[in-house]
Amino acid sequence: MKSSSLVLPLLLLGAVLLSLMIGQVVLSPLQLWTGLWSGTGPGALTLRVLRGPATFTAAGAGAVLGAAGTIFQILLRNPLAAPDVMGFMSGAGLAVVAGVAFGISLPLPLLSAAGGLTAAVAVALLSVRRGPVMQSSLTLILVGIGVSFLASAASSFLITRMPPQEAADAQRWLVGSLAARSWQHAAQVWGLGALMLLVLALQVRALKVLELGDELAAGLGLRPGRARNGLIGTGVLLAAAGVAVAGPVPFVAMMAGPLGMRIAKVTAPGARLCAAAMTGAVVTILADVVARSIVPGVQLPVGVMTGIMGAPYLLWLLSKEAEAGEL
Amino acid sequence: MTHTGLATDRLSLAYGDRIVIRDLTLQVPERRVTSILGPNGCGKSTLLKALARLIVPTGGEVKLSGQALGAIDTRVLARQLAILPQSPRAPDGITVADLVRRGRTPWRGFLAPWSEDDGRICAQALEQVGLQEMVDRPIDELSGGQRQRAWIALVLAQDTPYLLLDEPTTWLDLAHQLEVLSLLRQRNRDHGTTVVAVLHDLNLAARFSDHLILLGADGLVASGAPDEVVTEDRLRQAFGLEALVVSDPVTGRPLVVPR
Repeated sequence: MKSSSLVLPLLLLGAVLLSLMIGQVVLSPLQLWTGLWSGTGPGALTLRVLRGPATFTAAGAGAVLGAAGTIFQILLRNPLAAPDVMGFMSGAGLAVVAGVAFGISLPLPLLSAAGGLTAAVAVALLSVRRGPVMQSSLTLILVGIGVSFLASAASSFLITRMPPQEAADAQRWLVGSLAARSWQHAAQVWGLGALMLLVLALQVRALKVLELGDELAAGLGLRPGRARNGLIGTGVLLAAAGVAVAGPVPFVAMMAGPLGMRIAKVTAPGARLCAAAMTGAVVTILADVVARSIVPGVQLPVGVMTGIMGAPYLLWLLSKEAEAGEL
Repeated sequence: MTHTGLATDRLSLAYGDRIVIRDLTLQVPERRVTSILGPNGCGKSTLLKALARLIVPTGGEVKLSGQALGAIDTRVLARQLAILPQSPRAPDGITVADLVRRGRTPWRGFLAPWSEDDGRICAQALEQVGLQEMVDRPIDELSGGQRQRAWIALVLAQDTPYLLLDEPTTWLDLAHQLEVLSLLRQRNRDHGTTVVAVLHDLNLAARFSDHLILLGADGLVASGAPDEVVTEDRLRQAFGLEALVVSDPVTGRPLVVPR
């Protein structure tokens, strides 16, 4: 076992601890420990009600988003390819907002999954070109950015037609928020996440062949189209599971993969996905810690912080890609 | 028509709306090295892809042991026939060993673990291409020739009786071209693998192949042994090339000297 493979689990442990300790009242690890076992005192309240659910929801949402982003980055061989950039998460967000606006009483994960899948199909259809020319990954990404803007605009439009209180809540959620999360949210994202990650685990072998290119993959006995559609489905559903509990948090899905790959020093798809899930959890937890402690008495939405972290990364990535002539 | 090996039967292929191969019937000789030659745009690569079922014919069919390629189960076909496309792109940071291991995919069950056989066949493939010392090196750090040999090791690890390669020598200097072609020839001699390669260089093709398929703008010009195919008439017909064909002083095979 390489020492680099221990870095991420340790970071994750540290982030969880930090998230439980820091807030309006700072607790010591000892207070948390006592609270955990005795069930009384400030430690217990923080763990069970205040910060525990938010922390574990953040970890679950970050993990599924990180894994989802990496699937698309491997499939399209482009660090820009992620469900947040390509509109799948905005699509999921739009479906949830529409559900609220029109009073559709379906479970949120179902709504966000439907929205995410619809966005993915829309991106695929809008990118189709005539003739034998294969659509490039850049075309898909650009069309995805367009779909993302469209879905966000539609969400904003729906919000303007809601009653003020509801509108404020929806607006906040659309930025990506972990406020007032319960254990139910945590259990939901962990449950759905575990299920989808299991499905993904069965698809990793196909992904390893698919990343060699369609022709080699076909030569190695895979049906590239079918395998790719399955992986896209898994990726969209993973992202939708995250959106259902935390809203369309920007940039986590996009950053987690490349960051995790460098921290853990891994290259194979399976290891990259694990690293991305852990990094996504770390990034989301830390962003939430900063979001709720940077302005005293104010809890900023977590999406504001991931946005602040992600925007410079995106700019750096774009300049690097432009230099390499990939854009 | 015989019922052995790889053959085409009145095969027609189109690239988009443009028909590149029409009514082509030919037999790829078993356990021989065959090269497909012809000018740019004549459909060499298209033909090779059709032989590997990467593209669907617009007419006729490709047959393997008398069975239409389209009717063979994907995994069964992948255990019979391997194809290395032109200029494949390696995933970032992948090591030689990791790349070659993926060649075992068609032989592994859905959840089957890595077996001793898999390991032995990969080690053998790496040895045949001379990369056994470089297994842990990332592909991006290798030279062009080594990289191409790593890709060839991948398809050798697939362990198939038929091996198809699309321009395996492109971008390589002459020494490395010779190295790659000798390696394929050695595989053919040692394992009886039927090798089919699309090549650009007439002289190298004539030197390393037992059988040539020469295509022109209007389809098949000739197919047969190198000294039957590489003649002044046929080069004029296929390439519009005025050339002298002499005997290669080293191998005795035909050698093309453009006038």
